[in-house]
Amino acid sequence: MNLSPIAVVARKELMDGFRDRRSIYTILFSALFGPLLISFMFSQLATQNKAAQEIRLPVLGSEYAPVLVNWLAQQSGVEIAPGPADPEAAVRDGKADMVLVIKKEFGEDFGESKPAPVQVFSDSTHHSVEPKVRRLTLLLTRFNAEMGGMRLIVRGVSPQVASPLKVEEVDVANSQQRAATLLNVVLMFLTMAVLTAGMQISTDSTAGERERGSLEPLLLNPVPRWQLIAGKWAAAALAAFGGMVLTLLIIAQVMSRLPLEELGVRSHLGLDKICLLILTVAPLALMAPAAQVYLSCFAKSYKEAQSYAAILIAMVVIPGVVSELYSLSNQPWMQTIPVLAQYSIGTDILGGKTPSPVGLVLAAIEGVVVAAVLLWLAARLFSREKIIFGR
Amino acid sequence: MICAENLQKRFGNVAAVDGASFTAADGAVTGLLGPNGAGKTTSLRMIYGLMKPDGGAITVDGQDITADPQAVQARIGVLPDQSGLYGRLTPREHIRYFGNLHGLRGAELENSIEKWIDLLDLKGVAGRRVAGFSHGERTKVALARALVHNPQNILLDEPTNGLDVMSTRAVREVIRRLKAEGRCVLFSSHVMQEVSALCDRIVVMAAGRIVAKGTADELLAITGMGSLEDAFVSLAGPQGAAANGEIA
Repeated sequence: MNLSPIAVVARKELMDGFRDRRSIYTILFSALFGPLLISFMFSQLATQNKAAQEIRLPVLGSEYAPVLVNWLAQQSGVEIAPGPADPEAAVRDGKADMVLVIKKEFGEDFGESKPAPVQVFSDSTHHSVEPKVRRLTLLLTRFNAEMGGMRLIVRGVSPQVASPLKVEEVDVANSQQRAATLLNVVLMFLTMAVLTAGMQISTDSTAGERERGSLEPLLLNPVPRWQLIAGKWAAAALAAFGGMVLTLLIIAQVMSRLPLEELGVRSHLGLDKICLLILTVAPLALMAPAAQVYLSCFAKSYKEAQSYAAILIAMVVIPGVVSELYSLSNQPWMQTIPVLAQYSIGTDILGGKTPSPVGLVLAAIEGVVVAAVLLWLAARLFSREKIIFGR
Repeated sequence: MICAENLQKRFGNVAAVDGASFTAADGAVTGLLGPNGAGKTTSLRMIYGLMKPDGGAITVDGQDITADPQAVQARIGVLPDQSGLYGRLTPREHIRYFGNLHGLRGAELENSIEKWIDLLDLKGVAGRRVAGFSHGERTKVALARALVHNPQNILLDEPTNGLDVMSTRAVREVIRRLKAEGRCVLFSSHVMQEVSALCDRIVVMAAGRIVAKGTADELLAITGMGSLEDAFVSLAGPQGAAANGEIA
């Protein structure tokens, strides 16, 4: 025998799978969706950064505070505009990003060296406006400090007296690591590609086989159940791996064309990083199809299996999103848990660190063991009369 | 050669097969005749090893199915009650797939594929995907797929059910050919004409039991009926099944 039954089954499932338009569409969709979203996100971020530098500031009551308004107008990138009559409504309706309102008492209070009232109207639910509002409040704080300092000097007091603290922010993350937190979405799309690319084959070759009634004739062949299951898994795993590599290559292409330098991101996906990332995510391409095959054995139909697979996608992607949101990344224990291990090692690679070979090998062993256990369970299910004949 | 002895199978409280014993000899066509729900399909499933009997013994060519299911499965070809084809594969690919799983390779496999495509009159459609095939064409593909490894024992579950005349004729010719080659053919049916046209021996099954065995003439003699159909009704009908329980 020059071709083992596992290879026979895998070849048939791949041929069958790739004749199915649905699987081609899923792979292409997952391979293109990520890169498109990444390029959209980064170019959006770039325009936002630029926009924050240039603010157009509607001012209501500028006649009461010529000193402040002139000072603001002298700052680079600030354009003063006449303010709307109803600042609150204008901001709420999105006609203005923000409005600076100067009260009538300003002149009098300012002259008497009392805190003079100004109001900044903005809508905190509009995230895109946030950098502009931050710039304005920063400008107002600087004006505050400059004016206060001058008043103290006039009274013969050093302005330093009024600054008990000298706060210096030291960001220990180098720019590569800062970029990595942004680039973690790359990992999310890679895991999604792994989960979606093999999904069609793993569900159609198990639950679909049952639904069509072709499972019974298949099981009549003198081949151990585990070899049939392993063949189906191998086909799905190859598709998952291929989909993941394709996605990564497209992402790398897209990122090389994005204005990442403008965002202070110096991270390029070179060939070395691409290879390391493939090695890192590969264990997922072993585990995810195994989990899909196992879950599909419970499903009576292809559609039911697809909905289980969708839940699986959520279960795998959510930890990545959560660890991103809560900056949980890179606790040592994470490298022992499937999925989190891939996120954790992947973050290191994207951050320019060299991952420890021990971690990579452990994650790979873990992937093989988890996949083997799931396949063993699936093979047991495939021997049950209820699963073979129950429809 | 297939021997089933005192087969038992229960689903919950229902005894689907209740003490069935019969043999199917080489070089003969044995018909398993019975109304729907008599336990024919369950009996066949136990013989081809996808259902475990609750009691009794099955041997195929002297080998126990429970001891080494794969050794037995290598010696049998089965057409289950559902053809179960892959819509995106062609007949040739279907037959080759199962041939490969039976360990066949190269010229031996390709010759066998072409032989069955020829015998079952599939030449015109052998390169087309089966998605749009008629019921008859699907059954013939499933049959060719089941026979690609030239098994000694052939189990057919209602092979001509719902087929048109042409397909029925092709299937019957294949069954006669297998018999002439000295193979053991066991097929189930609830259609009288089918059984009388093909079978050397008839095993009548009703409510999980074997109610009569023998040639068509023997069955007529047992029941004292003039036609095989009347004989069948008297044997397998609701009263018959209870009254004739002992005849078997």
